[in-house]
Amino acid sequence: MLELRDIVVRYGHNQGAVTAVDEVSLTVAAGSVVGLVGESGSGKSTLARAAVGLAPLTSGTILWKGAGLDPRGRPPLQYVFQDPYASLNPRMSVGASIAEGLPRASGRQERPARVTELLEMVRLDPGDVHKRPRQLSGGQRQRVAIARALAAEPEVLIADEITSALDVSVQGAVLNLLKEIQTRTGVGILFISHNLAVVRYIADSIAVMKSGRLVEHGTTEDVIERSAHPYTKQLLEAVPTMTMGNGRS
Amino acid sequence: MSWSRTRHHLSSPLGVVTVALLLLLVATAVVAPLLLGDRATEIAGGALQAGPSAAHPFGTDALGRDVLTRTLVATRLSLVLALLVVGIGVACGLIIGTVPVVLGRRAGRAVVAVLNLMVAFPGLLLALFLAMIFGVGARGAVLSMAIAFAPSFARLTHTTASGVANADYVSAARLLRVPRWRILIRHVIPNISEPLVINATSQVGAALLSISALSYIGFGVQPPQYDWGRMLADGLPAIYTNPAAALAPSIMIVVAGLAFVLAGELLTQVLGGSQHGHLRLPSLRSQRRDMAPAETPPPGEEVLRIERLTVTVPGETAPFSPVVDVSMRLRRGEIVGLVGESGSGKSLTAMAVAQLTSYPNVAEADVHQIKGNELRRMRPRDRERLLGTSLAMVFQDPMSSLNPTLKVGRQLAEVAETHERLGRRDAWRRAVDRLSAVLITDPQARAKQYPMAFSGGMRQRASIAMGLMAQPALIVADEPTTALDVTVQKEVLGLLRRISRESDAAVLMISHDIAVVAENASRVLVMYAGRVVEELPVSGLAEAAHPYTRALIASIPDMSTDRSRPLANIPGRPPHASDLPPGCAFAPRCGRADDRCRQARPELADSGGGGAVACWHPLLPVLESEA
Repeated sequence: MLELRDIVVRYGHNQGAVTAVDEVSLTVAAGSVVGLVGESGSGKSTLARAAVGLAPLTSGTILWKGAGLDPRGRPPLQYVFQDPYASLNPRMSVGASIAEGLPRASGRQERPARVTELLEMVRLDPGDVHKRPRQLSGGQRQRVAIARALAAEPEVLIADEITSALDVSVQGAVLNLLKEIQTRTGVGILFISHNLAVVRYIADSIAVMKSGRLVEHGTTEDVIERSAHPYTKQLLEAVPTMTMGNGRS
Repeated sequence: MSWSRTRHHLSSPLGVVTVALLLLLVATAVVAPLLLGDRATEIAGGALQAGPSAAHPFGTDALGRDVLTRTLVATRLSLVLALLVVGIGVACGLIIGTVPVVLGRRAGRAVVAVLNLMVAFPGLLLALFLAMIFGVGARGAVLSMAIAFAPSFARLTHTTASGVANADYVSAARLLRVPRWRILIRHVIPNISEPLVINATSQVGAALLSISALSYIGFGVQPPQYDWGRMLADGLPAIYTNPAAALAPSIMIVVAGLAFVLAGELLTQVLGGSQHGHLRLPSLRSQRRDMAPAETPPPGEEVLRIERLTVTVPGETAPFSPVVDVSMRLRRGEIVGLVGESGSGKSLTAMAVAQLTSYPNVAEADVHQIKGNELRRMRPRDRERLLGTSLAMVFQDPMSSLNPTLKVGRQLAEVAETHERLGRRDAWRRAVDRLSAVLITDPQARAKQYPMAFSGGMRQRASIAMGLMAQPALIVADEPTTALDVTVQKEVLGLLRRISRESDAAVLMISHDIAVVAENASRVLVMYAGRVVEELPVSGLAEAAHPYTRALIASIPDMSTDRSRPLANIPGRPPHASDLPPGCAFAPRCGRADDRCRQARPELADSGGGGAVACWHPLLPVLESEA
């Protein structure tokens, strides 16, 4: 499991310093989905980026199964970025992007088969393997990004606002896919979003961040039904709903 | 870069001239030494430094050799030297410029510091200094010019590479433990190659000039070899007796230099520099029938009336229309939502309503009335005034409407000064008043601050306050809360509702989120692939007749969604406006579609209950149990 202990991320020096993440501790157990909610600037993305080394750690420790992360070994964490228009190399084919994630030990002959397998896993046509990102829609690109991350066989996947650049009409399909993959492979997920309705749907437990601090953490049911912190209540109230009645058929 | 686009550029006047010049140069460089090589060194007896004649159009040189022949033969050496300079310079520059990406942070910084120092040193001085070290001759000249050229190319490489090195896809590759050199070769270099190729091409012309200059002053090519610079040096002493001998190589230097600069220009266009150069533009004048007779509505009732609005944009092969036949009417105090997925044309509609469609896009409508005034019949000045005083626009990104270098209060005051000729002090007072109207605490002090000191929500409120400086009858809000957090979104939407209620302004609220619209509007227009496919009161959303509207509503998860079941979604993706299917645009994604839907497009028609729907098989409330 992934353990983040007393993580502090501070940018700048002296008076100008900004503390983006302030002593946050969070655990993602194997096979669990942890939702991380908060508004922009709450530090939720910075915390996740620090976990994989994309943001500099000011202090704190990151433990993987009780020990430090080996910077050379196969990484147990993978990251899916918010914007699928920026996270895929425009010059590389879908297949090449996904193959980049495959462990280097895998043989040359097995690679195409693994790529096909991954494309099928994210519900993309294996015939799309030679396409460039620009020939795909936003939802399809995000599936490629998920497939690339899964290629590295991570034990924890960090999904950073992966549906906020997509239309609502395709958001559901990406979330269904993520949930299905989670059930099938048992990968742990740190799911970051500002949308509580989405987090509630996918996560087993929810952590709420505000101004760099963790203000509430509990099972999804507890946080939604019996939220303790006033900020969580505020977030819950702000979720837009179809007030004109039950729109679902 | 598509082939049709490339061909289009190559067939432009610039393309034809450039390609012709380059072909001519290359052909001369290849053929001339083979055919004329012997003649160029042949010493014609008796005619030393002769002027132009039939046998020698540019005369002869000091040893009586034909100048024209020698100039043509010199093409090969001159071009090869220039290309060598750029080739070596590019190779060095590429290595120095990309090395910081491969090295760690600290070593990278050291390389960049050295690079900065080298760029600061004058290039020609460096070249002359190096030419001394390498010794006179073609090899020394090429090496010294290449080394002098490398720093500026390295700088360009480094700047573009560090932009790409921060891209998400490079971060993703790092997390996958892709080795650094592999990141460089697969991710960085392919994505910076375009500007580098363009720059290198136009540098060939400059290199040609510099090498010729070095040869001219005696550092470069030495006899018996000769390039254009060497020939210029030989011809110049006799300039008064035979100017043609100096003219011939000069002409070639100019022509060749020009060819490479033009080639750089052409590459810029082909590789994606120019925005509209290759596109087929929509015609500026409409062939549409005359506007419909404007039946005058009860004055003050109808704020906006637009009939059959179509927006046409340039396309690669032909112009196309991402907005087609959109009609809407807004009454005072009414909030109308315009909902659609990205690419549905909702933002282009908003811009057209506010008459903000900018070249080369063209917006046309049969009727476009604001407060009963037909905009198409007004003089431009009156139209500007009407729009300035009765229409306010709120954008997704408030910073796009706020000038970061002006104090917020000043910007607001300017609106009243321009449109209502208010005095400075009165305008300022009104600005403070409007800031307090949008619930900005301590408006006196806040008005004196710059937009950067405001939070995202406060900026959006300030931009709404700017719209309120006049008494707008219509507020067009294009995704006003998409960039904001949910708690701030709630505040801003509440503010828009309050303004609409208190000042009786109509609000056209554009959003991709049907839930946002459902909470705030009274009526909803649903757009799909550029057309309004359904119009209905918010109270009727649950019984929406169009399958698309239903699917859109169903795909939004909320706090009561069943967690054990998969989320609803719409398979497939919306068609591109330039490539619409012949029938209903939603048919390929619709579970109810049949052959009729695929062949004929349904028109917007009354669906009962105060709504309209464009669908052959609408979901009628009575049929809902079967559906």
